Amino acid sequence: MSSIRDKLNRLKGTSGRTETSAPPSNGEAGGSGQPSAGQAKDPAAEEREAQESTRPSSGLPAPSAPSEPPAAIGRSTRSIRVDNSLHPAFLKLGISEQRNAYGEFLLRRIEYPLDHRHGHYALGELLHYAPYLEPIARRQNKARLGAGAAEKAAALSKKKPSAKDLYRLPRPETAEESENPSATGARRLLFLDTETTGLGVGAGNVPFMIGFACYEEERGSLFVEQTLIRHPGEEKAMLHYLLGRMGGRTHLVTFNGRTFDWPVLVNRFILNGWRPSGAEPFHLDFLHPSRALWRNTLESCRLSRIEGDRLGIRRHEDVPGSLAPELYMRYLNDGDASHLEGVYLHNELDVLTLVTLSTHFGALLASDPEDETALPEAAEELYRTAAWLELHGEQGKAERLFAELIGRSDASAERWLLPAADRFKKQGRYEQAVELWVRAARKAETAAFPAVAAHVELAMHYEHRCRDYRLALEYAERALELIQRLPGSGRESPKRREEREALLHRLERLRRKSRTL
Amino acid sequence: MITKKTLPEMIAELRTNENIAYWHEMEPQEARTRPFPEDVDPRIRSALQRRGIAELYTHQESAYRMAARGENIVAVTPTASGKTLCYNLPVLQAIAKDDTSRALYLFPTKALAQDQMSELNEIIQEMGIDIKSYTYDGDTSPAIRQLVRKAGHIVITNPDMLHSAILPHHTKWVSLFENLKYIVIDELHTYRGVFGSHVANVIRRLKRICRFYGSNPVFICTSATIANPKELAEQLTGSPMRLVDDNGAPRGRKHFVFYNPPIVNVPLNIRKSSTVEVNQLAKQFLKNKIQTIVFARSRVRVEIILSHIQELVKNELGPKSIRGYRGGYLPKQRREIEKGLRDGDILGVVSTNALELGVDIGQLQVCVMTGYPGSIASTWQQAGRAGRRHGEALIVMVASSTPIDQYIVQNPDYFFERSPEQARINPENLIILVDHLRCASYELPFKVDEEFGPLDVTDILEYLQEERVLHRNGDTFYWAAQSFPASEISLRSASQENVVIVDQSNVAAVKIIGEMDRFSAMTLLHDEAIYLHQGVQYQVEKLDWENKKAYVREVDVEYYTDANLAVNLKVLEIDRTRDRGHAAVHFGEVSVNMIPTIFKKIKMTTFENIGSGPIHLPEEELHTSAAWLELKEVDPELGTKALEQLLLGIANVLQHIVPVMVMCDRSDVHVTPQIKAAHTGLPTVFIHDHYPGGIGLAEDVYKRFDEVKEAAANLIRRCPCKDGCPSCIGNEFESLDAKSKSIQLLSSM
Repeated sequence: MSSIRDKLNRLKGTSGRTETSAPPSNGEAGGSGQPSAGQAKDPAAEEREAQESTRPSSGLPAPSAPSEPPAAIGRSTRSIRVDNSLHPAFLKLGISEQRNAYGEFLLRRIEYPLDHRHGHYALGELLHYAPYLEPIARRQNKARLGAGAAEKAAALSKKKPSAKDLYRLPRPETAEESENPSATGARRLLFLDTETTGLGVGAGNVPFMIGFACYEEERGSLFVEQTLIRHPGEEKAMLHYLLGRMGGRTHLVTFNGRTFDWPVLVNRFILNGWRPSGAEPFHLDFLHPSRALWRNTLESCRLSRIEGDRLGIRRHEDVPGSLAPELYMRYLNDGDASHLEGVYLHNELDVLTLVTLSTHFGALLASDPEDETALPEAAEELYRTAAWLELHGEQGKAERLFAELIGRSDASAERWLLPAADRFKKQGRYEQAVELWVRAARKAETAAFPAVAAHVELAMHYEHRCRDYRLALEYAERALELIQRLPGSGRESPKRREEREALLHRLERLRRKSRTL
Repeated sequence: MITKKTLPEMIAELRTNENIAYWHEMEPQEARTRPFPEDVDPRIRSALQRRGIAELYTHQESAYRMAARGENIVAVTPTASGKTLCYNLPVLQAIAKDDTSRALYLFPTKALAQDQMSELNEIIQEMGIDIKSYTYDGDTSPAIRQLVRKAGHIVITNPDMLHSAILPHHTKWVSLFENLKYIVIDELHTYRGVFGSHVANVIRRLKRICRFYGSNPVFICTSATIANPKELAEQLTGSPMRLVDDNGAPRGRKHFVFYNPPIVNVPLNIRKSSTVEVNQLAKQFLKNKIQTIVFARSRVRVEIILSHIQELVKNELGPKSIRGYRGGYLPKQRREIEKGLRDGDILGVVSTNALELGVDIGQLQVCVMTGYPGSIASTWQQAGRAGRRHGEALIVMVASSTPIDQYIVQNPDYFFERSPEQARINPENLIILVDHLRCASYELPFKVDEEFGPLDVTDILEYLQEERVLHRNGDTFYWAAQSFPASEISLRSASQENVVIVDQSNVAAVKIIGEMDRFSAMTLLHDEAIYLHQGVQYQVEKLDWENKKAYVREVDVEYYTDANLAVNLKVLEIDRTRDRGHAAVHFGEVSVNMIPTIFKKIKMTTFENIGSGPIHLPEEELHTSAAWLELKEVDPELGTKALEQLLLGIANVLQHIVPVMVMCDRSDVHVTPQIKAAHTGLPTVFIHDHYPGGIGLAEDVYKRFDEVKEAAANLIRRCPCKDGCPSCIGNEFESLDAKSKSIQLLSSM
């Protein structure tokens, strides 16, 4: 009888899966002879390795890039305690071992002066803009700010904490702030970004590195801290440290942290024996605001894309975040900390970018109407920004952006006439709406593939609001003309047929009405 | 107008039918009850009383007492005996007593879970206690999911959902796992074979997570009648069990009839097709508006019968009152059919064993089986579909020409007096075990000395560590891959990938009408195959094997298709051997290569072969366990040709006998004869599990070989044919005396 091991190796051929997470190899000759014993190297991994080797292995950026200075990284690294037993790569990054009641982990701490620029903004600017982020926080934490939430929070803070209780809503620091739990002063923010071993928010995904940043106003600086576990046994100590640092901070500032980083951390708290106390930090997650603005005007809404195209941040020789799990696994397997240098720097920049992104949105919400510089160029972005501002209670600013959009006469701006008109219509500002519909209708009449929506809107407007059936009829007839002019491929799409039938119906009614008049 | 006949009239008429081979009558049984136990919450008691339950049946009362004492139980009850109260009562009582209590219900299918929730909610409403029960499955909307996780007292789900959605995300279910009092496993007998082996491992994972959260739930299982309910429950849950089988439910008079179609070819012992007979019988009942269920063994057979008896209702407008039911129909369609049967809107249904399960379709009057369902347990399950608490019910089993059907019909004692089969699982199947160890270590790190079933799993953990799936630190193994293992593992079939069936009859509205597992698709969805769905014929225009899609178009033809599968076997390793001089029986590992070769077109009315075509599909390979018998010395006078035919004949008999002996689906075990086995050159018959790694079926055959051999010899001996017929060893023999030579060969083994 063969050993379990032999059987495993034999069965591997038929299980239809490879045991690693890498995609199944396609080069293996299946079927004949003895099945491979599994020592054959996975080609996909080999390929990745090959790519790796062409990339500079050190993640340290070149010192003085002309425009953007990531060279500043580490320049004011303050080592807490030099521990010579650490791997040289760790020492080079200024990392030290931390110890608490639950054990050890590694900590990297970097102090940034407030005048340090990361992209378009200096880090200190957020001290001014942060309070303006409150409408975003309100929107994102609606459920917890609703009626009864205050009492619930009060009850929670009175409840005797038990050993298993997780995070409780930190007590507000001043009387003024306690009246407003969603206030977003810079010192209440904790910028957070994790690097995890896998994807998804299942119980097996482990954040091996937690990067976070806080303002420390007394020192006039921003502290970025990065924790790392050298093995899974260090997790509890690391999490305990994070919980400590969360004290006094009410909001987590993240990019997709509401559905990823935080739930993953909650998993870890629970797995390490803590239980949710019912209190949770508030979120300031910039993924959704970013999508609201840049959904179509940026190639993607990944942080790296936003950095480059909107925040003025250039990364040099950055290790992509998607490689972080792989690099960490390599470190786990061979103990060579130099695999992690790139991950450290990538994560550090991500955390700094969260500050810049916050500043950007704060500045947007704070912008005073005279400020011309913040206006987006693309018409779509202008429209989306205006709509987003309006959603966040900034009608005045939105109004000015809409006005700017309407004022533009280029083709791309005119595509947004209808949505803008729709907004006027909803607000009951029919005169402005009509003005835009007329413009849109005029544009449609000269288009190769005309849309009839503006005509239909005008027909409806004159029929129902002005009872000017003749004018309404005129628009409806022109709409029908446009539809018939459309180059057809022989068969009508169901949508277009519906449109045409509705129009015919409208025409008939209008003709009847205008006759009886 | 012709007056309709009543069921008793029809029963009386049937008694005189010359094709009746055996008539078994079951006396009605009075109810046996006991009063409610003292400690049952008065609100529960009065709610049940309002529903007409003043006392408990004996088995319900026993179940309650034992479960309340904290004993794990398995209750064995026939269909419609009030088994749900066996678990609902202790669960509701626990929650009524302590609002933080939680319970988890596992049903093998979503449909059963839905049924259970509506029934449960009715009782809860009457009780006037705020108990929340929810189903949690693929259809549950994200908004509800959060509610279920936080506030559901009773979470009703299926093993697949537990495996892929709940356990890997257990941190979202803290309140469930911390307070779990009961785990209910309904339809326990369905968890056998590959599926059962997977589920046993899922339950190991579940128990691990309960331990982590500090709960120690009691298991309440219910099962249809099988030979080993206690053993199966213990294997599945890894916990000691108490058996509850004092059924106290009443039952009306039942007639169980064996019907053997007349012989149409005497020398060859060929009988009239059972399908044709079933068509006629079912039509008679349906014409008289008697609610009837027809069971058929395969999906194809279901559709063939359906197309015949739907003739009766071809003039009906709107939804038909005679319907088909089987796996592959979409859930919504199935729900509609179940409801139609309960409400009486649907008069007749033709089903595969999909309706054997406890899906609530009410109680029908007549059950007709097309052929022996393959196991005693399964037969009783299907028979249970007919029979009301009062009044008569009729069950007709129409035998086909296959050896086992003929054996049963001619030996009714075998069926009525033998205890039902054993349900077998093999949770230690290496592939299955490794899969679930991956999932388990994703869910919680593994300690070196931690148990996961009876096997020492350290070897496997170390293997996974070498594969870089796990990372070891000190005495603990941690998950270390980027993937989400549960999504790569399906509990239901050897392969995760199902073939999706795409109907492109209407080019503008291409739609998916069903799906099928990979192995079945090889022979049922090849190019040009006729695929039947709800009585409608489709022809497969293209089977896109790479993308696992079969494109079909509606057709109207007079034939169906039947595919041949060529099998090649290699012995990899011999684990055990029993040498008997002239012959030897071995158990070990084999590799099986399968390739579909040709398909035949068979005319529906006459079942004659009217054409054929090739199938071009890649070979599939399977490593599995097998038992095989080899003949070391054969009478040289026999001749190769004759020997080959004898082996084929014996294989034919074994293919029928073995699934019955080891209780599995026919397709779970394959028998392959070889005149010259590749590894020895000796004449050999292989019996192998049709699942990677094996699930213990071949091993069972090896252990009980003498029993299997004797049953096979008996079957040949008792067949009334002269010298071989399709009902035993087949009839393609040139030599005389094939039957006695076969028996001789068998006994020499």
